[in-house]
Formats: sequence, structure tokens, C-alpha cells
Amino acid sequence: MTDRQNIDTVLAERDAYNAALAGTRRRGGSWPALLVILAALALFPLVQLTGGNWNYPLHLMLYAFMYVAMTSGWNILGGFAGYISIGHNVFFCIGGYVSGMLLASYGISSFLTAPLAGVVAMAVGFCVGFITLRVRGPAFIISSIALLMVARILFDNWDFVGGSNGISLPRMELPVQYVKIPYYYAMLVIAVASLVASYAIRHSKFGLGLRAISQDEIKAESAGIDTRFYKILAFAISAFFVGTAGAIWGEYMTYIRPNIFLIILVAANMVLMCILGGKGTVAGPVVGTVLLIAFNEFFVSQFGASQINILGTGIIMILALMFFPNGIVGTLRRRGRLPRILDWD
Amino acid sequence: MTDILQILLIGAVLGGVYALMASGLTLIFGVMKIINLAHPVFIIIGAYISYWLFTLVGLDPILSMPIAMIALFCLGIVVYKLIFEREASSAKYSEMTVLLTFAVALSFDGLLGVLFGNIQRITSPSYAVEAVMLGDLFLPKGQFYAGLISIALIGALVAFLKFTRFGYAIRATTQNREAAQLLGVNVGLVSTITFGIGIGLAGASGALISFIFSFFPARHWEWIALLMSLIVLGGMGRLMGAVVGAFLLAIVSAFVGSYFGSTWSMMTFYLALFLILLVRPQGLFGEKME
Repeated sequence: MTDRQNIDTVLAERDAYNAALAGTRRRGGSWPALLVILAALALFPLVQLTGGNWNYPLHLMLYAFMYVAMTSGWNILGGFAGYISIGHNVFFCIGGYVSGMLLASYGISSFLTAPLAGVVAMAVGFCVGFITLRVRGPAFIISSIALLMVARILFDNWDFVGGSNGISLPRMELPVQYVKIPYYYAMLVIAVASLVASYAIRHSKFGLGLRAISQDEIKAESAGIDTRFYKILAFAISAFFVGTAGAIWGEYMTYIRPNIFLIILVAANMVLMCILGGKGTVAGPVVGTVLLIAFNEFFVSQFGASQINILGTGIIMILALMFFPNGIVGTLRRRGRLPRILDWD
Repeated sequence: MTDILQILLIGAVLGGVYALMASGLTLIFGVMKIINLAHPVFIIIGAYISYWLFTLVGLDPILSMPIAMIALFCLGIVVYKLIFEREASSAKYSEMTVLLTFAVALSFDGLLGVLFGNIQRITSPSYAVEAVMLGDLFLPKGQFYAGLISIALIGALVAFLKFTRFGYAIRATTQNREAAQLLGVNVGLVSTITFGIGIGLAGASGALISFIFSFFPARHWEWIALLMSLIVLGGMGRLMGAVVGAFLLAIVSAFVGSYFGSTWSMMTFYLALFLILLVRPQGLFGEKME
């Protein structure tokens, strides 16, 4: 056998091994149960037909879907690639403003322009990532805060989009009991799409590369991974989902204003939900989102003030980081006690 | 010409204050490699201490500065012992500590908001509204005093690091943690005390800025990027680097502010941070950082 053939066999075997490694999944997944849950969520708005006022539960659920979408978007960069961004709500803002301005100027509904808003956020993410992903670790985190500050100043002083007062958007003409339903479905679709994308990335060669980057970037690079391109792509994809969610949220709120998008609490929520649920897992963002929103609701109903909410968020984050650095899903998996219904990887 | 001198003067005075604000941050990073996102929130706590001492007891903020400093020193040690010490063995140390400081900042932000509300406050001793004239140049007394005291405190810090045994230990730990430990430096104690000193310096600068900037709990998010730009420019962990960075950027932002308006003077710091990260991530005097 010649050397050439030898090399070819080795390469072929390595490719097969890599593909197998990337595609590894446990048998007997939780698909049927998940489909049942999804169907239940899709049918939930029917409760409005019973005549009762379910607007608040609908609001909470669409709020949760929004955060699921944003957190699993964040997870692609922060969880898989290990690049923590505390300024990801910039893309939330960009998405909201792109769709909001199109709605205000041309009357095009955000439901149509949301994917476009996502693409714009993605393009901005690509450019920003091109600059900030040159540094890693703590320096990247700092640059993400600086990004948030720059965006806040720009949007606060940009007269075309209304400056710090923002712009109010036309309301959708619907009877009050149905007014939340279109947004509910839109957010549900985005959330499911982000989870599917997250699953697909996790089981692709791309996802494997990202995980290698989060373990040891230099070794990943010497193993032949184009780390720079991988990171920037992960940044752009994560910006896409955050931006799309922002587009729908802007129309839902009926106004766009820097202080609904560009506040640190939104960014903190994204980071915390992901860490609480489990960074780098598909189910983690969902678990974290549900827990944190339930907690927030409890806090607001008991104490009311939003300042206490910030304090509570901070304290939970400290405790989660100190005692569950792998998050709930990660910790349970490590102990082999993860219920099958949460094992989405 | 007078205009330019005037701007230079204001910039230089503010530079001194910024340098003191950043000195604790860079000291903590140097010894522990913790990027303390909670640093500005401690500055604001210091500012509240002097504000309430002034409002309730009538104590001058400059005199209450040592009180704020000692109180924050103790708070820093408590926070370090409770939260950060156990992370020392963590595999993802730098990432974990940054997130923890972020969470600490959030908690104190919320706590201050609950206690005092999100109202803009400023301590108003008589000199805060007076000014001295140096020939044609105009210099607000408050900023002048704050700048002078800041520079004096930084001088004292440098002397402490240079001429005391504990200062030696801190500098040795900054240069090489393992080697310092081998040579018998109690690295754990040095870390704890340095964290306390860093937060104490934050408290001192808080007392000083309480009469030159208005403050409210959420203000610290603006300052973290500002302080980061100073210490990244100077090279993370370099005290003198942070001082040079503070003066440079304060003067540049004073010029930007007077020609383009004060909103853009803040922008100087953020854009500078991006530019430095892009062009020279290790800063002016630093070695390449991980």
C-alpha cells in the first residue's frame, strides 16, 4: 500500500469518526412528549373562546417564548462557543427598530418584516463580531458592555428614530380578547425555530467546532478549525434570533424606545436564564427562562417594585454561579439524573 | 489659545479623578486577574456614604472620604471572602469571576435602588459651586479639590506599593503569582487585602465624585465601560498605565465634549475602548493578555 492510500484511509476514517461524534445522540429521545407539549402550546389561545379573560397568561407565555428565543440565540455564542456577551440586547434593539420604523413609515406589519429585522441584526452582528471577536475571554465581555453603551448613546441621540422618546407604532385593529394571539404565535414560532437551530448546530460539525473553541481555542485552531469564521458566524446567528424577537416585541409594545430594549436588565436576564438552565445545552435556556419568569412574577406580585426585581435577579445569579455553575440541566446530567423529557441534546 | 488651555485644565483635573476611580480596578486585576464589573457600583456606594453623612450630619465630603474608604475596605473584604475566594480553584476562573462581579453589581444596584430610589443626587458643599480664577482660566473648586486629592491618594498608593513589605508582596503577586508563592508570599492574604484596598479606593473616589457628578444607582453601568477604557488603554493591571490612560482620555474627551457636545464626550471612552481592542488589545504598556 502506498503512502497516499494510507493517508486517504486515515482521512476517511477520521471524517467518519468526526461525523459520528458530531451526530451522537441517545436513542429513544423525548420527541413524542415534546410534540404533545408543542401542540398544547399551539392550542392554548383557544381558551380565549371560553369567554374568560386570559390575556395575562397569554402575555406571560409570549414573554416567555420571547426570552426562550433570545436566550437560546445567546446560548449559541455564549454557551456553545463560550463567548459571553453582556450587550446582546443591542440586537434586540436593532430588530425592534428595523421593523418598527418599517411599520411606522410604510405600514408594513412586523410579522412580515421580522425575518428581515433578524437579517439586519445578523449583518450588524457580523460586523461587530469581526471587531470584538479578535479578543477573547474577559476582554470580549468588556467590549460587549461598551457596545451596549455606544448603542444607547446612538439611539438616544438619533433624531430620525425619535431619540430617547422613541416612536409610537400603530395598534393592530383586533377585538381586545384576540389582540395578543398573533404575537403569541409569532413568538412561539421564533422560539421553536431557535430551539431547532440550536439542536441542529449542536449536532453539526459547526457545533462541534464551537464546543472545541469554548474548551481551548488555541488547540481548536491547531486542529484545523477556522476559529475566527466559526466565532463570527455563531455571533451572527445568535444576533438573528435576538433581532427577530425584538421585531415582534416592538410592535407588541406599540412603541419603540431605547429604554425598553437597551436596559441592562434585558441583557442580564438573557445571561442569567442561560446560566441557570445550563449553558451549552439545548434545553437549558427553556428551563432557565421558565424558572426565572416564574420567580419574577412571584417577586412582582409580592413586592411590586422593579428595583427589588433587580436585586433578586442579582442574588439568584450569584447563587447560581457559585453553586450550579453548570446550570440545572448541566448539573443534573452530570449526576445522571436528568429526566428524559429535558434531555434534548 | 486660552480656550485650549481651559479645556486642557478641566481635562487634566478630571483625569486625576478618573485615575483614582480606575486605580482600584487595575490593582485588583493585576493581583487576582478579576475584572471587577462591580467596581463602579462600589464607587456609588462610597458616594452615598458621603452624601448621607453630609445631608444628615453636615460632614464635609472630603472629611468623610476616609470613612467611606474604610467602610468600603471592609465591605470589599466581606464580598471577597463570601464570593470570590472559593472561585480560586475554578477551571473557568476568569469567566466565572467576571460573571460573578456582574451579578454583584446587579445586586448592589437593586439594593441601592430599593433603599434610596433612582433619584439623581449630588452632595453640595459650598465649594462645589465656587470657582478659582487662574489668570484668564476658570477652574471649578470642587473639581480642583477632587483632582488634587485623587492625585495625592494615588501618590500614597504608589509609595505604599514601592516602600512597604506588603507593597512588595502585592507587586510580586502581580508579576508572577506562583513565583511569589514559592518565595513565601501568603498569596491568599495578599489577594484578600488587595481586594479590600481596591474597593476602599473605589469608596474614596466615590466620596470625591459625590460633589462633582450627580449620581443614582444605575449610573454605574455608564462608568464601567469608561473605567475599562482607561485601564485597557494603559494595559490591564498596570497602575501607572491606568493613570496615563485616565489623563489621556479625560483630556481627549474634554476636547470632544467642548467641540461636539457633552453626549459625545462619553462616547470618546467607548469608541476608544473599541479602537484599543481592535488595534492593540494589550494596551499601551501591557503585555499580551489572555
